[in-house]
Amino acid sequence: MFNGNISATEISLNRRGLLIWTLVIIIVILVYLGSFAFLEGAGLVEMIEGYPEAFTAGLGMTPEMFTDVNLYNGGLVLLYVLLLASIYSMMLAGGMVTRDVELGTIEFLYTRPVSRPVILVSKAFAFLVLVSLLWIAAYLASTVVGAFWVAPALFDIYTQFSAHLMGYLACLAAGGIAFALAPLFNRSQASTSLAIGLGFGFFLLNSLSVMYEQLEFLQYLSIHYYANLPGAAAGETFMTGMVVLPALFLGGVAVGAVLIKKKDFTA
Amino acid sequence: MYAVETEQLTKYYGQNRGIADLSMSVLDGEVFGFIGPNGAGKTTTIRLLLGLIKPNAGAVKMFGKELPAAGGKFYRRVGYLPAEVNYYPEMSGRDLLEYSAGFYNISSFQWVEELVDRLQLDPDKKTRTYSHGNLKKLGIIQALMHKPLLLIMDEPGTGLDPLIRQELFKILEELNQRGTTIFFSTHVLEEVERICNRVAMIKDGRLIHIGPIEELPGRDIRVVILKVAGRQPSNVALERMGEAEELPSKPGYYRVLSRLPVNELVSYLSRFNLEYLRITDPSLEEVFFDLYEASPGGGDTPHV
Repeated sequence: MFNGNISATEISLNRRGLLIWTLVIIIVILVYLGSFAFLEGAGLVEMIEGYPEAFTAGLGMTPEMFTDVNLYNGGLVLLYVLLLASIYSMMLAGGMVTRDVELGTIEFLYTRPVSRPVILVSKAFAFLVLVSLLWIAAYLASTVVGAFWVAPALFDIYTQFSAHLMGYLACLAAGGIAFALAPLFNRSQASTSLAIGLGFGFFLLNSLSVMYEQLEFLQYLSIHYYANLPGAAAGETFMTGMVVLPALFLGGVAVGAVLIKKKDFTA
Repeated sequence: MYAVETEQLTKYYGQNRGIADLSMSVLDGEVFGFIGPNGAGKTTTIRLLLGLIKPNAGAVKMFGKELPAAGGKFYRRVGYLPAEVNYYPEMSGRDLLEYSAGFYNISSFQWVEELVDRLQLDPDKKTRTYSHGNLKKLGIIQALMHKPLLLIMDEPGTGLDPLIRQELFKILEELNQRGTTIFFSTHVLEEVERICNRVAMIKDGRLIHIGPIEELPGRDIRVVILKVAGRQPSNVALERMGEAEELPSKPGYYRVLSRLPVNELVSYLSRFNLEYLRITDPSLEEVFFDLYEASPGGGDTPHV
């Protein structure tokens, strides 16, 4: 069902991008999680309590987060890590499809003895590996900073694992959406714009749904809702998210495979 | 058995015609030339043959089987060289060849190394540093590396220097002798005449001729460029050799498209006090012009 030759090549072609994004995410974790010790006693709780609740909730903040390192990292730091990682995931998945069209390598690839759906599945497998590596690095960075520096006694590596796992699944879902939409575009620039737009779009939809009760329904359109990072960091298991997010990935890849099979591709 | 068959193949890009009602067949083991001017529909036809694009009407059969919509395993038997060769810029030529070899389970690189040697390619450079000619060489090697049963090449000679082009056609002849069917498009008649058994001519998306190379229209034409010293020859005198016209860019020089047998032509030319003489084969444009002129009803009616 997949071709290892294509997957290995895709991983190799995208390793530099992975390295850059992993470094960015590690720096974000290092800076934000690393600053927890300083934020804890800086009167931030009082300050946040002074703001309207809808406003702080929209930004993913609750007063409790600044007193609990697990909630802080899982609910707040990972919220922004997910924002970045979901953009990367969509750029990666979209780029895997549009790059060949843009470069003109599509004629080379589509005349190999492999069907188009298998090509897409092989690319999706490479995507899975790269995004897994990104989240493994993010989890290791969180663990090192949280458990060995910021709060050795309090940092719970198990709930953090759950929160990172949900973030990872949300990125897979984002990638699935990109795999489904990318065959509609012929330029990497278009798929990159889509990735940035959707990445921020999911974040904003989630924020709006938390800020205004009337807009609560919008949460169902955001991967952040299904990831439920604060819940995961608090030790809750969100079964809906654990089903919907992988389903979005698999469904997106399936839709992409159908579209790619039907599409006329010319260099 | 036919290696390739098309039945009333038609492709439109929106309102624009790609090809229309194209029916032809390529015999297993033959070298088939597909010729036509730029924009005639050669590349569209080739992309349809390979399933890269889908026809609006008609069908393609490869080795007797209808082409699967999304390709797949049948590509194992096919080698393809596109007109514009594009590869991943971060890969070296060798990386690309190894990547391609991975699809065909090629374990011995002896044949690939031989091709690299004969086509004089440096495979260790990144493809982004390759010239157009080197990209073409790399494309040729990846198309031939698995010794395909059917080789489809879009303008294989374009961008190659004459010596490499010579070597390429030698390689193609060798492959054909070992049983590879070769289908290639070109707008260079010389390439067709060198190795093809049969040719098809396409113009404005329609097939206008198909047949053995011996029946290629215009093959008997000689293009004579001449200048007569002293008094200019009369049109009547020149037109006894064939259709004649003065070259607009070179006053005093005449171009004659002659169908006279060579001896007769030389004997007739000897009557003139020639200052300049060049006799060449016709260009594709001249063949097409001749073909259209010869067709019943004039310019718009195809010959076949």
